[in-house]
Amino acid sequence: MNNALAIASVVVKELYRRKDFYVLFVLTALITLLMGSLNFFNDDKIVRYLKEICLLLIWISALTIAVGTTARQIPAERENRTIFPLLAKPISRGQLVAGKFLGCWLACGLVLIVFYLFFGVISASREHQWAAASYFQALWLHWWMLAVVVAMALLGSVVFAAPSSNATICLVVILGILLMGRHLNQVALQLAEPMNTVVYAIYFALPHLELFDVRDLVVHNWDPINWLVCGGATLYAAAYAVFFLFATWLVFRRQPLA
Amino acid sequence: MKPILKIQDLVVEYRTHEFGQKVKLAVNRLSLEVFPGEIFGFLGPNGAGKTTTMNVLLGFVPASRGAAYIFNVNVREPIARQRIGYLPELTYYYKFLTAEELLRFYARIFRIPAAEADRRIDEVLKLVELDAVRKRPIKTYSKGMQQRVGLAQALINNPDLLILDEPTSGLDPIGRMKVRQIIQRLKSQGKTVFFSSHELGEVETVCDRVAILHQGELRAMGRVSDLEEKYKCNLEQAFLKVVGYEPGL
Amino acid sequence: MPAPSLLFGLLCSVCFTLATWLQPWHQSWAGSRAQSGSLLNVVMGDSRQLLANHFLVKADVYFHSGYYPSIFDQVTRGAPHMATAKDDHDGKEDHDHEANEESGFLQPPRDWIDRFSRHFYPSRHTHLEKPGEAREILPWLRIAADLDPHNVGTYSVAAYWLRQHLNKVDEAEQFLREGWRANPDSYEILFELGRVFDENRNDPERARNVWELGLRKWHEQSARHARQDNFVLEQTLTQLARLEEREGNLPKAVSYLEELKTVSPLPDTIQLQINELKQKAAPPSAVKGPKSP
Repeated sequence: MNNALAIASVVVKELYRRKDFYVLFVLTALITLLMGSLNFFNDDKIVRYLKEICLLLIWISALTIAVGTTARQIPAERENRTIFPLLAKPISRGQLVAGKFLGCWLACGLVLIVFYLFFGVISASREHQWAAASYFQALWLHWWMLAVVVAMALLGSVVFAAPSSNATICLVVILGILLMGRHLNQVALQLAEPMNTVVYAIYFALPHLELFDVRDLVVHNWDPINWLVCGGATLYAAAYAVFFLFATWLVFRRQPLA
Repeated sequence: MKPILKIQDLVVEYRTHEFGQKVKLAVNRLSLEVFPGEIFGFLGPNGAGKTTTMNVLLGFVPASRGAAYIFNVNVREPIARQRIGYLPELTYYYKFLTAEELLRFYARIFRIPAAEADRRIDEVLKLVELDAVRKRPIKTYSKGMQQRVGLAQALINNPDLLILDEPTSGLDPIGRMKVRQIIQRLKSQGKTVFFSSHELGEVETVCDRVAILHQGELRAMGRVSDLEEKYKCNLEQAFLKVVGYEPGL
Repeated sequence: MPAPSLLFGLLCSVCFTLATWLQPWHQSWAGSRAQSGSLLNVVMGDSRQLLANHFLVKADVYFHSGYYPSIFDQVTRGAPHMATAKDDHDGKEDHDHEANEESGFLQPPRDWIDRFSRHFYPSRHTHLEKPGEAREILPWLRIAADLDPHNVGTYSVAAYWLRQHLNKVDEAEQFLREGWRANPDSYEILFELGRVFDENRNDPERARNVWELGLRKWHEQSARHARQDNFVLEQTLTQLARLEEREGNLPKAVSYLEELKTVSPLPDTIQLQINELKQKAAPPSAVKGPKSP
């Protein structure tokens, strides 16, 4: 664990010393504030559209940071050859994978805290209330979804040669799941065999990332989700993250570095 | 005396994607031993198998057959690397970190206590003459300074065995001299150094024993003076004879 | 002068010459978007309409607090209603329609993932019913109108919510006038504008003017096109008849009802109203019946 945490701390340092996060945060803040300054029929209490735009930007930024940061971790270590002095220390490849995962995931957590605080301030400034439980659930579920995304991108980084191709494939898969995941069972019903079984199998096998997207509930001020259900979703994400990490280790442990 | 590094009948094969040639032999039945306090030069032309052998010693590449041991521990075990320091060739360290942060990160992996780590960081940064720029990001360092950061990280755990891959590669004459001085200082501290180099003059100056590798096979091994005596010439000419290079051909 | 600078100067001259030559042609070219006064038109062209429809649907999604069928659900269950049946939301919804929606586009869960996922998105049918909540749909209607100013439905829907639920009569009128400028032949917008004058401004004269103008527009367009929107015609005639009745112009009210009878699906009911008005309009002696000689 010590080695994994040491590596994670370097990844977190990398995140806050690079410009990516700041650029995305400033863009999110600027667009949100710009949209907030628009006057719709002289009504300054309209807030839901602003919450929706802000959350959409947060999701885009978080996904970009998560996939972008993770996809370059191991390839950058190889390209800059820092993987050699690193693995020449008493550290296993499993610990390296765990450290990279932990670093990227914790970095995403920090990013989300900053973004959601901004979101909270924006919505509170108009609604004059703070739906703390809903916001916390949104952040928590978002963070766990990113655990799956980070683990998936890490697997991609040991399978695909170029970080750009890995990032592109990951983003396409993630967006596909977010948009289509929930409806694949409906699609399957309209297909003839054997495609019906194939699509249904994909539906059950893929990680349903859309479960963690509770933006509609937050935007429209629905009640918080049952905490047990929230816990179930956390376990679901943890299971998939562990699965992807294990697969990453399986591929990476015998991979020649030279 | 027990060897600190031991290689036994090491064979390393690579799969190639070339048509008609599925397996390439990188190292063929290599055996050698390095003893405590020795500076051991690992020589050979490009493609001889030096870096591959080092990669096996560090666990980067699995051996196809045979075995290698460091401090009597099989190199496949991560713990075998607890008491070694490794300087790879041409490495670009995390440019967003400072030298001090980089060394603290590596010290943490060796589980060196914080106070001890601070002391070691001071010591090695002074040794490699980077103490004045310790708080500057590595991205602002020159190539020579980066190589010295590499040397500092290799020494952070006060290793008993140093594995250096082309430590003077790409450095200017002053940089080379500084690295050579550091190696000699380490020798005076009783450290064991196993290093590869193309600079035969440098090897002649600092090495106790050398091994010459060619096409994956060990062609000669012994004290520099013994090799010079055996081939009746200096180390450079002896090297050329061993690898079968005939001037004028 | 060094050669690169000379070359650079030459290229600048060529570019400037080409620009002065092409600019007049581009100005007169019919396909130039730059002639449009709207930045959105310049940037997006005709794709604005697609986006405008999306935002109109978005307003409907907001009206349902996010409870809305996806395109996959719509294939089997059809789309909801706000944009098309605005008057239904005046607290007297059609019960069959409502019952159909309550059973929802969400069919019983097909599997455990389906069941589990329903905790994470709005899965209960609801409307923006709390006072003032309807304001949340307005940004999307405004954006939809900006993107596609020729969709008159956007103005009608927005005006309805502004004046009926948010007490923003000035804004409703202003928005409708904006829509009228973009669609000068729209009898739908004129009808809504008439309602603003009649119901909110208490100005029957102006209401009459715009409704009558709307009626003329309807007839003009009816003469040009085979199919017309009878719904708005019925509404306009009804409102005009009521207005004239209120103002005491009973013969005029009767004439509007006579016209309404020709297009209404319930001509008998209209005839009853006509009879009632005729009775009111007749002199008291006529009511008593003919005298015996």
